[in-house]
Amino acid sequence: MIKFVGKFIKKVFRDIFRKRKALKIGLYGPPNGGKTTLANRLCLDWLGEEMGSVSNIEHETREVQIKERITVKKDNHELSFSLVDTPGIATKIDYEDFMKKGLTESESKKRAKEATKGVIDAIRWLDNMDVVIVVLDATKDPYSQVNITIIGNLAARDIPVLVVGNKTDLRKASIKKIKAAFPQYEVIGISAKKGTNMEEFYESLFVVAG
Amino acid sequence: MPHQCVRCGKFHDDGDSTLLQKGCSCGSRLWFFVKKESIDKAKTITTSLTPEQKAQIEEDVLEIIGETNPDEPVVLDLESIRITEPGKFELDLVQLFNKDKPIVFKLAEGKYMIDIPETFQRRRELGEKHK
Repeated sequence: MIKFVGKFIKKVFRDIFRKRKALKIGLYGPPNGGKTTLANRLCLDWLGEEMGSVSNIEHETREVQIKERITVKKDNHELSFSLVDTPGIATKIDYEDFMKKGLTESESKKRAKEATKGVIDAIRWLDNMDVVIVVLDATKDPYSQVNITIIGNLAARDIPVLVVGNKTDLRKASIKKIKAAFPQYEVIGISAKKGTNMEEFYESLFVVAG
Repeated sequence: MPHQCVRCGKFHDDGDSTLLQKGCSCGSRLWFFVKKESIDKAKTITTSLTPEQKAQIEEDVLEIIGETNPDEPVVLDLESIRITEPGKFELDLVQLFNKDKPIVFKLAEGKYMIDIPETFQRRRELGEKHK
């Protein structure tokens, strides 16, 4: 109850100070968690077009991407926002990892440089966000430095957070582990690729951002 | 704190007006920040990087930080990004997320580069807040 009242007061204040500025929802997380796949799913569901390209090689998104005026409708409610897809945040970027995935040395070095710039840009953009969806790969250990640093900094900046455990279509996925790691947040398990559990995701988005 | 010229390696003392006003006698305005205790070490340091690799790293950093004015003096502090060789980056997320700290690239042992435009912007914002 106290949590609910707190959220309500925060929302009222946010609404007052935000005035008529468009709500910005950012997708944050480590590389290859599925941020762009979720962005594409969201855009396909509500705009009928995709947002960006996806790849199994890490750091495919190396520039901040924005899709404006997305309106999600649920029952009698509407939520309009700009969706901001950000490059994956990492602590180490090594061109040799990209070479192992089949890129040439010069392509790999270029990708590493752009990915590093992408991390800086993603962090710079954080202060513009009204709500952040943290997209984690549910098949991986959630207790990573990247995850903890991102979520800790969102809490410090008082930005509302929805944690998404993606890739639930894979056998190794565990939403339980993510919930145990971040018990103070709403955690939703989805498969952005297959479109599984998107209804529940949209409901949670309404709660956190609405 | 002493600063070393990136181009010619000459050391300048802390507070030396050359740092911000004229640049080094060789014409460069890019400095490596050197902690006092490591200055002797820095003078004798040798890295395994070739001159080509060092030049490449420097070029990469200028591109990443989008340095538009090469005449801006660059002064250096704690590192947030370490570059061990071209294409290999180690990022200190805690430093990067810290709004009050500049983004600093460690090019090689004892050599740093700072994101000056970003730092000035942050200082301006902080200054405005205090008004």
